[in-house]
Amino acid sequence: MVFLYGRWRFARAGASLPIVPTTHDVGGASEFGPIAREAGEPPFHQEWEARVFALNRRLLQLGLYNLDEFRFAIERMPADAYLTSSYYEKWFLAIERLLAEKGVVP
Amino acid sequence: MTQRFHTGDAVRTRAANPEGHTRLPRYLCGRKGTIEAVHGVYPLPDERARGIALTSCTKEALYTVVFDGREVWRERSSEPLSISADLWDCYLEPERAAK
Repeated sequence: MVFLYGRWRFARAGASLPIVPTTHDVGGASEFGPIAREAGEPPFHQEWEARVFALNRRLLQLGLYNLDEFRFAIERMPADAYLTSSYYEKWFLAIERLLAEKGVVP
Repeated sequence: MTQRFHTGDAVRTRAANPEGHTRLPRYLCGRKGTIEAVHGVYPLPDERARGIALTSCTKEALYTVVFDGREVWRERSSEPLSISADLWDCYLEPERAAK
């Protein structure tokens, strides 16, 4: 997951609140083309994806944030980062942002 | 929060979403639909997403609302097509039956 660090940093907690983008709300938009379906798609394509999945389950279970906060953290991603990140990259960046905002990590 | 709608009622979703998290997708804004099911009262995710505690957040009736494909996608809709979404009470307004 090293490749993620520094590449798409979210604004840290305490920074001025950005206007929330609606990049995520693209249901029905045709300009992205059809969704490619992968035959026999595995749950995870990389080992780190499974770790991110498990990490999120555990942090939700601990009550450090709730599922709606997690979804909102993904939605608050800057448009360029949202559109160029994979599914589990978005999860990881959202977890990172929430833990920073809540002061769990510096 | 009272349950304003019942199965079979005609409703219209709000025309635009406020800033922040919501469960009403943009493609369903301002669309006419029908209450398909009533699920009971659930915490409003729009508030939960801002970190408001389960004990103090707004609780509202949650419905499954069904929309006709043509209402949502206009002439681009496949035929026949319907789409259902689970939507909270404050996303909806009553739709007049007679026009």
